[in-house]
Amino acid sequence: MNYCITDLLYFILALPVIFSGVAATNCLGKDLLHWLNRLVATAVAGAIVMLTLSFDPDMPYIGRYIYLDALSMWMMIIIGTLYFAFAWTSKAYLDRDTNKRYGYLRRFGRLEGRFYALSHIFVWIMFVVVLVNNLGLMWVAIEATTLVSALLVAFKFTRTSLEATWKYVMVCTVGICLALLGTIIVYYIQLNNIGTANPLDWLYLAQHSGEINPAMAKFAFCFLFVGYGTKIGLAPMHAWLPDAHSEAPALTSGLLSGSLCICAIYVLIRNIIILMPAIGIDFISGLCLFFGIFTIAVAVPFVVVQRDIKRMLAYSSMENFGLMVAGLGLFVPVAAQAMLLHMFNHALVKYSLFYTAGTIMEEYGTKNMMRIHGMMVQVPKTACFLLLSIVAILGMPPFGVFFSKFYMIYGFFTADHPWMGIITLVLLAGMLIGILYHILRMLGSQPKRKSSGELFGVVDSVVIAALLLFSCVASAGLSEITVLNHLLESAARIVLGGVA
Amino acid sequence: MEYLVVFLVLVVFLQTRITDLKRAVICLGSQSFIIAIACFVLGLSNSQGIHAILPGVLTLIVKVLFIPGAVYRLVGKLKNEREILSASNVNYSTMAAALFLVLGYVIVERLLPGSAGRDIIAASILMIMTGLSLMVLRKRAIIQIVGLITLENGIYLLGLLMTEGLPLVVELGVFLDVLIAVVVLVILTSRMRLSFMTTDTSVMKKLKG
Repeated sequence: MNYCITDLLYFILALPVIFSGVAATNCLGKDLLHWLNRLVATAVAGAIVMLTLSFDPDMPYIGRYIYLDALSMWMMIIIGTLYFAFAWTSKAYLDRDTNKRYGYLRRFGRLEGRFYALSHIFVWIMFVVVLVNNLGLMWVAIEATTLVSALLVAFKFTRTSLEATWKYVMVCTVGICLALLGTIIVYYIQLNNIGTANPLDWLYLAQHSGEINPAMAKFAFCFLFVGYGTKIGLAPMHAWLPDAHSEAPALTSGLLSGSLCICAIYVLIRNIIILMPAIGIDFISGLCLFFGIFTIAVAVPFVVVQRDIKRMLAYSSMENFGLMVAGLGLFVPVAAQAMLLHMFNHALVKYSLFYTAGTIMEEYGTKNMMRIHGMMVQVPKTACFLLLSIVAILGMPPFGVFFSKFYMIYGFFTADHPWMGIITLVLLAGMLIGILYHILRMLGSQPKRKSSGELFGVVDSVVIAALLLFSCVASAGLSEITVLNHLLESAARIVLGGVA
Repeated sequence: MEYLVVFLVLVVFLQTRITDLKRAVICLGSQSFIIAIACFVLGLSNSQGIHAILPGVLTLIVKVLFIPGAVYRLVGKLKNEREILSASNVNYSTMAAALFLVLGYVIVERLLPGSAGRDIIAASILMIMTGLSLMVLRKRAIIQIVGLITLENGIYLLGLLMTEGLPLVVELGVFLDVLIAVVVLVILTSRMRLSFMTTDTSVMKKLKG
């Protein structure tokens, strides 16, 4: 059978909404709900695979409100993979969290319906972010992700999760309001320099980006950078990030870290492409490099002194976002490709890490890393997954992150920023030492505390292993996988401003 | 239009001095009402058709009726809650607002010299800055929500003036977002009341480092 792209897109955009509507009514049985959730996510992931295969990166799809080019396709693949992983790990997580002694959700009955409804709508909004063609609608969707994920972060309604959510909503909404101001200024520029046709349409603006007035463009860019930078979690505006990531349910943390923050990076990239010809590369590159490396530098000391395992992972995410933004600021093809690849690898590996961390929290009844010892003896399977994912996120071969980090560092030297590259390397080494210190102490030594046994089941082990393997294979064998390679090259060309 | 600016500035200055939660919400409602009138005035003079009245109608429904209504209902459930501030603190806030107003005029003169809506742009910059300072300096959750809406109103007014209204779909999306934001914040505040027995956000300081 042959489907055209329009059908597939409608399918992808319709199914999660329908499911979350059904799930929100809470009239389904528990098993039916879990299976329907898996079915929906698998169908959407399958549709994304078919879309990837039938999509030609050199021929962007242009609809009335939808614009799909190689960059958005790449983001779709990332979000779709996480969506699939989410659906297949959620049953194990929710069952544990409602049953075992440490389960937060045990106090409430039947909240699965609400959890699924919110999570699926959250993923759906992220699909919308990468598919819409309009800068204003991108802003609307990014703000909507904040609000929906806020309800997910506060899902347990404990005191700490309320605190985290309040901070998250307040900080992110202010940041995003500044981005709205930036978007309004972009529209003002368009009205004055380009004309009233196609208001805020990304493609139209990108094709006419040469006509933009530089002074106003710089002004707009500052607001957009601060606004979306808040959402990415760049250093001075990062206050919400560790709190929200550590207090959310583990599955939500994985989605937040893996896909939400890179959606913000995606929107920032879209805006940069429009404003770049007017502002000039130097200004943008300077800002991105400075804030990116500053973010890594801020994250390192917090990792070293951290006691909470999910907070440590959150700071590790910050480090990776910093690296991505710095890689974006280099403006060389190799770094742009590496950045996109890093988004992919980081999403997959960080999701498995957060999931493993959630499992550990339930096995030991604590988030405090100082109280967990001897995991190798007590819970060998979890320990194995933890070790593998940590090794992967720190960028050791043969895992995928190694390749993306390596090419990014290589990009620093080819882009004539050798000192920046050296500083980044030193900071990454600090990160590695800090994280390995904590993790190896947890894995080794004598068990001092009773654990509630191995909680990793069959399905979730397979999914986590598949995630790690997929990231590994996709990065190491990228040149052999023609579809992905071609897509990545075209996406990197778009990031550097080469619009069709 | 000039009268509107005078009223708007008056309301914003009043907002910096209010400590009672109910009055703060009423003040927010009247501020949004002024924005709605501004929407109608600008819309009818600049464009035709649905785009002329839609922003005004939406502002009226969402920001004048729904948001203050929802927050007001929540305030009704809170007992013994008011922002605790000393007199000097309030005076500093008002003085800061005055500074923001001057700053607004300076920015307008620098960036957009000779633009038509000079006064109203200055007023919207005043609203943005005051909203930010309310969110940062005040402790009560309700006042922080009021600050957030003030900030959003300021940005919206600025956008309305600079661009004669955003594209229609975007405009609808922005309103939807504000609506959901308030719903989420109201849910959070009422949970906060249950968990902490207060809506003072300064009690929440467990997450650090």
